[in-house]
Amino acid sequence: MIGLKSTLNCIDNSGALIVECVNVLKQKVNNGWGSVGDEIVCVVKRARPVPTTTQQSVTAVKVRRGDVRRAVIVRTRKAVRRPDGRLIRFDDNAAVLLNNKREMLGTRIGGIVSADLRMKGWGKIVSLAPKVSPALPRSALSFDDSASQVI
Amino acid sequence: MKVEIDSFSGFRIYPSKGKLFVRGDSKVFRFASSKNASLFLQRKNPRKIAWTQVYRRMHKKGITEEVAKKRSRRTVKHQRGIVGADLAAIAAKRNQTAAVRSQQRLAAISKAKSEKKDKEVKKAKPARTSAPTGPKVSKQQMKGGKGGR
Repeated sequence: MIGLKSTLNCIDNSGALIVECVNVLKQKVNNGWGSVGDEIVCVVKRARPVPTTTQQSVTAVKVRRGDVRRAVIVRTRKAVRRPDGRLIRFDDNAAVLLNNKREMLGTRIGGIVSADLRMKGWGKIVSLAPKVSPALPRSALSFDDSASQVI
Repeated sequence: MKVEIDSFSGFRIYPSKGKLFVRGDSKVFRFASSKNASLFLQRKNPRKIAWTQVYRRMHKKGITEEVAKKRSRRTVKHQRGIVGADLAAIAAKRNQTAAVRSQQRLAAISKAKSEKKDKEVKKAKPARTSAPTGPKVSKQQMKGGKGGR
């Protein structure tokens, strides 16, 4: 349940630490609230400090405080209902920053992400994550990338 | 169909029921009901709450009857005769003393020795009498072969 002014932890290596939601991108049925797998517009509230000696490495800080970016929600404190009927809930709200082409800004993810992301078409984030919350049943997965692989 | 186990009370969670909680350290907890979830979030110890499985197991609730039934029957030793040796014979053998047994053994040995001597004497006598007699003829010669030339 992410809306205006919600703060989320940023769990990728783009350099942002805490982001604040300023807009939830509209979908058919989200009623203005964002959940796992939804895209938001956010402001970087706190970022890792930029090192004085500029180094072009993978760990380079890509965002600064005050930047406005797109992001995708990967964990929510509000329980989300799974297709098999059970609910899943996390300890915090978390997001991963995106560029304008809906690709990840960072290259790594540090922390558990919800398995529901794969269902919503964010398979790449799930594959990068070190840990995924308990998997969904097979029937729920079939209408995403796995379905296209079969055909 | 997979039935999960509640991480607080140990109750079974059937499909479509229950709630998953993923803690900050990415540990997953499963709850069958809101009662369990609530108590867990209040940081209650399931060992101190009487209706949880952990408590019941700790205090040995509801398993006493089974344990009593499980005790196995002790084997009773019983003596009886078996094939070729009835009870009296077995008892006689068992009640022998070592001295009697060694005496018997000595007697048996001396008896066997004397028997052997007798046999040798008997063997020696016929061996002398049955010496081969008659001319030495090879088998081939008898048949008219070239052995006799």
